[in-house]
Amino acid sequence: MALGLIWLIMFLCLLISIIKYTLGAILKWSVPGAKVKKDYAYQPTVSVILPCYNEGKAVYEAIESLSRSNYPNHKFEVIAQDDCSVDDSYQWMLQAQRDFTNIRVTVDRNAVNSGKARSVCNALRHSSAEIVVSVDSDCIFDPEAIRELTACFSEPKIGAVGGRVGVRNPNEGAITAIQTFIYYAAFHLYKVPENWTRSVGCISGCLFAIRRELLLKIEPVVRGRHWFGIPVNQGEDRFMTHLALLEGYGTYVNNDALCWTTVPATLGQLFKQQLRWRQSILRDLFFTLKTLPQHVFKLHPNAVLHLVLTPLGAVVALLMALTMLTGDPMAWAGPSPLVVYLFIAAVLAWSIRKYSAKETVKNPLALGAYAAWWLVSNLFITPLALCTMDSRDWGTRSKEQEASLGHSNS
Amino acid sequence: MATATVKKVLAIAHSPRIFQTLMYKWVVTLYRIFAILTLYAVLIGVLAYGFVMGFYATNTSWAAPVILSPADDKSLDFTQKLVTSKQSLEDITLDKKRLESSISEMTLHRASLLALEPELQAAIAREKIHARATGPQLSQLDQQKQADNVKTQGVIAQVKEVEASIDKDLAAGLITKGDAATQHVALNQAQNSFTDSRINEVLLTDNVLEKTTTGTRSLDVLDKQAELRSEIAQLDIALSLAEKQIREESQQIDRLKKALATAKQTPHYLSVSGGSKIYFAFVPYDNQSSVSVGAPVYDCYLNMVACRKVGTVKQIFTGEEHAIHPIFRSDMRGFLIQMDLDHPESAKSKTVFLNRKPLFF
Repeated sequence: MALGLIWLIMFLCLLISIIKYTLGAILKWSVPGAKVKKDYAYQPTVSVILPCYNEGKAVYEAIESLSRSNYPNHKFEVIAQDDCSVDDSYQWMLQAQRDFTNIRVTVDRNAVNSGKARSVCNALRHSSAEIVVSVDSDCIFDPEAIRELTACFSEPKIGAVGGRVGVRNPNEGAITAIQTFIYYAAFHLYKVPENWTRSVGCISGCLFAIRRELLLKIEPVVRGRHWFGIPVNQGEDRFMTHLALLEGYGTYVNNDALCWTTVPATLGQLFKQQLRWRQSILRDLFFTLKTLPQHVFKLHPNAVLHLVLTPLGAVVALLMALTMLTGDPMAWAGPSPLVVYLFIAAVLAWSIRKYSAKETVKNPLALGAYAAWWLVSNLFITPLALCTMDSRDWGTRSKEQEASLGHSNS
Repeated sequence: MATATVKKVLAIAHSPRIFQTLMYKWVVTLYRIFAILTLYAVLIGVLAYGFVMGFYATNTSWAAPVILSPADDKSLDFTQKLVTSKQSLEDITLDKKRLESSISEMTLHRASLLALEPELQAAIAREKIHARATGPQLSQLDQQKQADNVKTQGVIAQVKEVEASIDKDLAAGLITKGDAATQHVALNQAQNSFTDSRINEVLLTDNVLEKTTTGTRSLDVLDKQAELRSEIAQLDIALSLAEKQIREESQQIDRLKKALATAKQTPHYLSVSGGSKIYFAFVPYDNQSSVSVGAPVYDCYLNMVACRKVGTVKQIFTGEEHAIHPIFRSDMRGFLIQMDLDHPESAKSKTVFLNRKPLFF
């Protein structure tokens, strides 16, 4: 009975993934209603909040790219919030404040290390703008990004809008190539059915725009979020998106609002990043299950379905990997998954080359290695994430790095 | 202003009770203990899995016990073929016996026919000698008869004149009617005798013809002789064919017997005929070097440690078999062995080890 239920969930997760990608492709090219009607004339005031922790010069480059924005300079500001970095991030922020005088840059520092979510909340007290855009401090932003984001808010029910995250280093190795494909497919296919019902489950924290009034409503929850008394410092983007949906607002990802991030290039970095994301996914699943009746009665069925089944897929994938390893250990290395991945790689490589030349992957065959990564990811990361829910890590910078940076500074 | 949903979430998020703080601490502590234990279990599991994989990738002494069921497809197919072969063997043997019996009958018949041939030849020769002897005599008598008949014919010609004189004498009253009738009867008798004599002459001529030339009777005898020879020739052909068929069937019987003998040496025959107390194991070709008749068989806990001797290798079968690797689940080529097990439950183990303990304990 229990085994049958697990297989049923596994089947549903797989089915919903396939349906989402297929439906994404159909909606993308044939259903205009899947896209928000953008109104570029709508130009609200915007605060770009840039929480930062040990990003070094990257924060300067991020502010520099924001200073080149095409959005009317008098209508937006940058609020850089340092979370007690132990490197020279704060100095770079101040430097940017001095260098980019075409925009208003406010620099502030938390009293104690508080995590990204609370840094955003702390920065909010400097803002009075109608739209708040939270960004990652290691990203580079397209000049059109803010304009594209705000244009989507012309639909009154839209509460939060995200941008597309592109990969700055697609050809640094097989690991970055794989991530390029995954990022591209996620934004251009996987999120499209969610866009259709304005119920995107997770807007990336790299570029996350939200209505001020909505942020103020959920800010206490975000600030007070904890796991049995331990403050949660990760996955604020997914949590905030989720709360926006529960508040009855629509969420949307505008693929024309672009930002670029440097994805992990080593297995260690990738493992840590994926672990963080998996923790965030699992927390979100527990949150969804805990408040399931509210979800069922308030949200679009599509939203409930992907909010439940997508994270549940991560859990059942672990069982799937275990079943596979104990039943047929060599199946994952067989020709069938490899052929499937290579076919997907060919299609995605062609699409990326055609529609996003900057991210062109020179060696599309690298996606074949995803078969091995899938196994590692589902076999190790999920149990590890389940066993490290008490983690207080800020996310992008580890304690070791923090210590080493602190040591070098001293 | 927060909505009802957010208020509910806030209510969950903010619970500044001391009791709650203590409870959280307990929960987190228990969670951490559980998490550490789980992660160690995962780590041990991963290492054990890796070790098992490595072990089976390098070990060359394992064999996978196989329980052959008489009801499985291969055994059923084998049984069906065995029954068909046995039936064919019986049919051919019966046919061969029938042919052999037929040959002996034909041989007897041929011998009797061959025995008739010299008798017939002798009879023909005897007749020829007799004809040569009696033919000229008859011919001479025939000529004499013809001459006698010519003379008698002349005498008969005078009978008509005698008849006329009788009638005249009767009319003249010289003789009585009775005398005249008596004289007429005598004359008729003379004419009849002449006619008989002519008939005898013709018959004699025929006899002479038969004795001195090849007649139809001779031809009949020759025809009979030809028939006899033909029948013998046909018997010779039939005998030759039957002998050839017997030779072929004998060869076929030999082949079937060999095939059945080979089949009786296969594990499937043993399984079908021997019941459930015969134990087999599949040995991949890579592990062939560890197999020999009489080699000890070890069964181990967790498929590799704390091994004990459970029997010996009884027989090695040469036929190729295919099986699924018990760990890697890949297709393998190899052969079957028969094990003599002191502990029958080992036949249900995933693997057993031949010749030596895998980890020396």
